[in-house]
Amino acid sequence: MSYDSEKYKITEAKEEIEGVKFLRVKCNLNPAPGQFFQASIQGIGECPLAPCSYNKEYLEILVRNAGSLTGKICRLKKGDFIWIRGNYGKGFPLDNLERKNIILVAGGTGIAPVASFLDYIDKNIKKPGKILVYFGFRDEKHILVKKKLKKWSRKFRITICLDKKTEKNNYEEGFINQIIQKSRLKASNYLAFMCGPEVMMKNVTETLNNLGMKNNSIFWSMERRMECAMGNCGRCLIQDVYVCKDGPVFRYDKIKPKLDNEESSNKILIDGK
Amino acid sequence: MKILEKSNLMEFLKNLSSKYELISPIKEINTKFQVINKSNFDRIFLDKITEAPAKSFFIPENEALLNFGKKISVKERKRIIFGLRNCDLNAIYILDKVMHDANYIEKRKNTILIGLYCENPDEYCFCKSMELEDSEKVSDLFFYSKGKKYFVSVNSEAGKEIVKNLKESSEKLKFKVKNEKELKNKGIKKHYKNSIWESDAAKCLSCSACTVYCPTCSCFNIEDKTEINFKEGERVRQQASCQLKSFSRVAGGKVFRDSRLARFKHFIYHKIVYFKDQHNKYMCVGCGRCLRACPTKIDWVNTINLLLEEENRRKK
Repeated sequence: MSYDSEKYKITEAKEEIEGVKFLRVKCNLNPAPGQFFQASIQGIGECPLAPCSYNKEYLEILVRNAGSLTGKICRLKKGDFIWIRGNYGKGFPLDNLERKNIILVAGGTGIAPVASFLDYIDKNIKKPGKILVYFGFRDEKHILVKKKLKKWSRKFRITICLDKKTEKNNYEEGFINQIIQKSRLKASNYLAFMCGPEVMMKNVTETLNNLGMKNNSIFWSMERRMECAMGNCGRCLIQDVYVCKDGPVFRYDKIKPKLDNEESSNKILIDGK
Repeated sequence: MKILEKSNLMEFLKNLSSKYELISPIKEINTKFQVINKSNFDRIFLDKITEAPAKSFFIPENEALLNFGKKISVKERKRIIFGLRNCDLNAIYILDKVMHDANYIEKRKNTILIGLYCENPDEYCFCKSMELEDSEKVSDLFFYSKGKKYFVSVNSEAGKEIVKNLKESSEKLKFKVKNEKELKNKGIKKHYKNSIWESDAAKCLSCSACTVYCPTCSCFNIEDKTEINFKEGERVRQQASCQLKSFSRVAGGKVFRDSRLARFKHFIYHKIVYFKDQHNKYMCVGCGRCLRACPTKIDWVNTINLLLEEENRRKK
């Protein structure tokens, strides 16, 4: 167990949308879809990130400017260096995906692990079943990895859901759960994989339940505060499971009781809180 | 077994402190473990469990994990911690299960543990309830006190070396720990949503004293610290507490354990339930330091006992 990270060169850097940077790093770590790594800049700090594509030669990262470290990462240019240690965690289950019908759902920057999973399916699954993709964004300006989505949309059915439409286009307006509900899909013979804000995942899961999907076919990629990424610092514990070590991807029926428990005690406010 | 006259203890310790870095309980404003030198030798305090645990010698409050731009290598002197009670020894045994990094392992290998039998557990102690490991299994030497003598059990090669000049004894000793306090049952898993926890959480100030004084609490933060020239610096591990809101705050401001109730229960359940599920061992060693340190005197041991009384009453 070590906290040492390796130094890697950035070969491409561009602003994806306002406040989100796209970086390509020459690096052969090749994390499995859903796995993550710890990216750092010496002197500023370390944070967990997931790649947004599946590739053996390089890592592609989307970083949202949300603090001092990610702010600094967003200011990196081509030729700069970034320190990375990884890979950590258990990713999406990759066994027996041939001919499986799959629903992929992601919201906002939660698109990264799901996009990497889609990339994996694109590159490695010879005979995919029906693949339905739902990506949710705030509005047109916030759509991420647009070019790739265009490429993938030739092969898979990709639906982009915007909270608010400001122009005329062929995107859907509404939350992902509403769009899925409208489609009246028969969900019972699908598997679902999702990443995004927990409220979104909860609502989508409820909708899928209504459409006939059971909780044991739903996989959530979770977010928690992490420091060490090795099941050591205790910060990402959801009750007794470490998100970094046992997750970040969990089968929903396994994680649900734990989330319910924590939520139940968060709801109870005690005087003077 | 070896024998050491009680009157010779100070001389024995003086000898040790000349060869090793000796750490022992001392009494100042509070009672704690500290490195012994000439100035504090007379403050060595062995009557009672210390208020502060010995964990900071293995997981310091601030500790460099990495250095960048500068290289520091400090070879530490071989050290001895003397006066560890069974709870303290077991706490180190638990830390061994949690911490796996090079820094910890080096510190641990560099340290000889000398235990001391606890003659007078106080009203907060409940070590007997926590299924502790045998102290001789965890320590290098263990001191039993009887009459005017210490009987020393030798449990490792390193320990053997230290007491090679002491007289041998064939006496067999039997000791029984007496606790006033008892944690009657640990089956609290199914009671997570019970409202009894709310009465304790209502008293909680989220001050994190329980986690600071707990000998097994080891959760941490990793932060980078730089020199003013921005070229040199280190990545530092700092002790953190699950009782603080910042502990589970993520980018964007969401706090996952937002209520005091959730944080308070997390502490108790981690000690009694979660760790047991993972390592088949309670993370609590029953030293009672959290109860002693609590400014509002929250007694969660009593709460659990009440919970199970209530359960038994319902069954009838």
